[in-house]
Amino acid sequence: MTEPILQVHDLRKSYDEGRIEALRGVDLAIHAGEFLAISGPSGSGKSTLLQLLGGLDTPTSGEVRFRNDRLGSAIGLDEYRSKNVGFIFQSFHLMPTLRVLDNVQVPMLAMSPKPPKRAERALTLLREMGLEHRLRQYPNELSAGERQRVAIARALANEPEILLADEPTGNLDSANSARIMDILTGIQKQRGMTLIVVTHENEIAHAAARQIRLRDGRIEA
Amino acid sequence: MASQLSFTGFAWKNLWRRRLRTLLTLGGIAMAIGAFVGLVGFSRSFEHEWLRMYLSSGTDIAVVQQTFLNTSVNESAGATLKALPTVAQATPMILNLMDLSPEVNALAYGWKADSYEFDSLTLTSGSRFRDGQPEVMLGDLLAENMKKKPGDALEIQGSNFTVAGIYHGGSALEAGAVIMPLDQMQKLGSIEGKVTAFHVRLRPAPMGEAADHYLARAQAEIEAALPGLRAVPAAERAGNNQLVLLAHAAAWGTSGIALLIGILGIANTMAMSVFEQTREIGILRALGWKRWRILALIELEAAVLGLIGGVIGIAVGWGSLRLLATLPQTASIVSASFPLLLLAEALGIAVLAGLVAGFIPAWRGAHLSPVEALRHD
Repeated sequence: MTEPILQVHDLRKSYDEGRIEALRGVDLAIHAGEFLAISGPSGSGKSTLLQLLGGLDTPTSGEVRFRNDRLGSAIGLDEYRSKNVGFIFQSFHLMPTLRVLDNVQVPMLAMSPKPPKRAERALTLLREMGLEHRLRQYPNELSAGERQRVAIARALANEPEILLADEPTGNLDSANSARIMDILTGIQKQRGMTLIVVTHENEIAHAAARQIRLRDGRIEA
Repeated sequence: MASQLSFTGFAWKNLWRRRLRTLLTLGGIAMAIGAFVGLVGFSRSFEHEWLRMYLSSGTDIAVVQQTFLNTSVNESAGATLKALPTVAQATPMILNLMDLSPEVNALAYGWKADSYEFDSLTLTSGSRFRDGQPEVMLGDLLAENMKKKPGDALEIQGSNFTVAGIYHGGSALEAGAVIMPLDQMQKLGSIEGKVTAFHVRLRPAPMGEAADHYLARAQAEIEAALPGLRAVPAAERAGNNQLVLLAHAAAWGTSGIALLIGILGIANTMAMSVFEQTREIGILRALGWKRWRILALIELEAAVLGLIGGVIGIAVGWGSLRLLATLPQTASIVSASFPLLLLAEALGIAVLAGLVAGFIPAWRGAHLSPVEALRHD
């Protein structure tokens, strides 16, 4: 077994001055190259857990460690998000003012120094996604499936080790859902990436090598 | 070849995709900068014309009371002045602004017929006026605006004058002015025996004495001989006389208000933009953009708005100045010269206005929580 790439210790997150407890002490180790599905009913805390794993938010208590470095102290959250993780969201979250090719280059502008051949890299990724004919379109000119493929290309732009997907097929029909999951599992296998998917769909959860189920902010046994 | 996205390109695309709002904001900042260029350019041009007038006439020092507009010097002081060893020539003069017709007002000078200040003027038709006679000379610009030629009658403040001659002067203040005998002007204003100032030409500085030192010595000599009066170097008087100071104050005050409105316009646009782009800011934060980079992006958009608005405003202001230089009401006090310093100032102010206006929205945007921002509809 490889070393855990992410370790979570007694992770808690509460909102509204403690009145809402989204996570109530989660312990978890995720290994490099693993495909993990996080499932559970609405309000179980799965998206909150993903946000904390991705450094989008800070826990109320407990810690998340990336390769043994504590997020937010040993490694800055901005740096972690730009270099080590790629996000895929249910509502795609593309930049509406930018064309497809530009959207994929946006994460590269967060790097210092900026990669020199940004457009070429974006083009390669979009070709992988079968979108080379859509480079000059704006997001609102694409289908939902195409938008999600642009989002996947964008998530891969800075060659992260971890891919975090929050309900990546939630806004897609079954054909597009299957295609997106094929792409994600293909990427995970070919690149040896760690893929963590939050989903409420059993089919997707069963496709993962390991799945955990959250209920009321805790991992079910 | 695929096009590379740059940071600046990103800012530009954000503005370009929201064209209507961008254009409205540009209109606001352009009007503000246009007002600045027009008004401040007008007042500077006014000052510049004063300086040109003094330089072309060869006046070194003006002897006045403490203030300019209300100065009232006894004409008899001329004899004392002329007797001073540093003074080559001293000529009395009166200055006023007069309505010559309902549309035209002009600077009016009262001079002696033998004043050295005529040396810088070129008589283009007619002749010089005579002391003691109800005669005037018109600058060529004023004569053209009023359609007057030598021999024509001109009524000024209820008194009838004859146009004796038309002259050309190097400064717009001269070209658009009327000059009449000093005694006639004293009679018009009921200020017999009083003048506005004496203009003084100094003798050449002695060998070995620096020009500045000589000028200061002459000032001191005049002020000692005429207690209660001030001897002001011509260059200083061009910039510090009350008419110019008043024009500067009015220009800065009015354009300051216009700029404030422009800044509020950009601030409003940027605040709206940050609000509308809350989710996009959240996306950028999720993609690892640091706070300072978000702040820089929003500030860059605001600065670009300021810069483009500034360029348009300069064109508007310059057009206004050119227009003012041709209108009969204002042609006598403004020329269409355009100093580069004013252009640089206007552009600097425009960009600074953008940065100031954009800062609070940028700060707010940069400090949004990524999770909260992503939830924003």
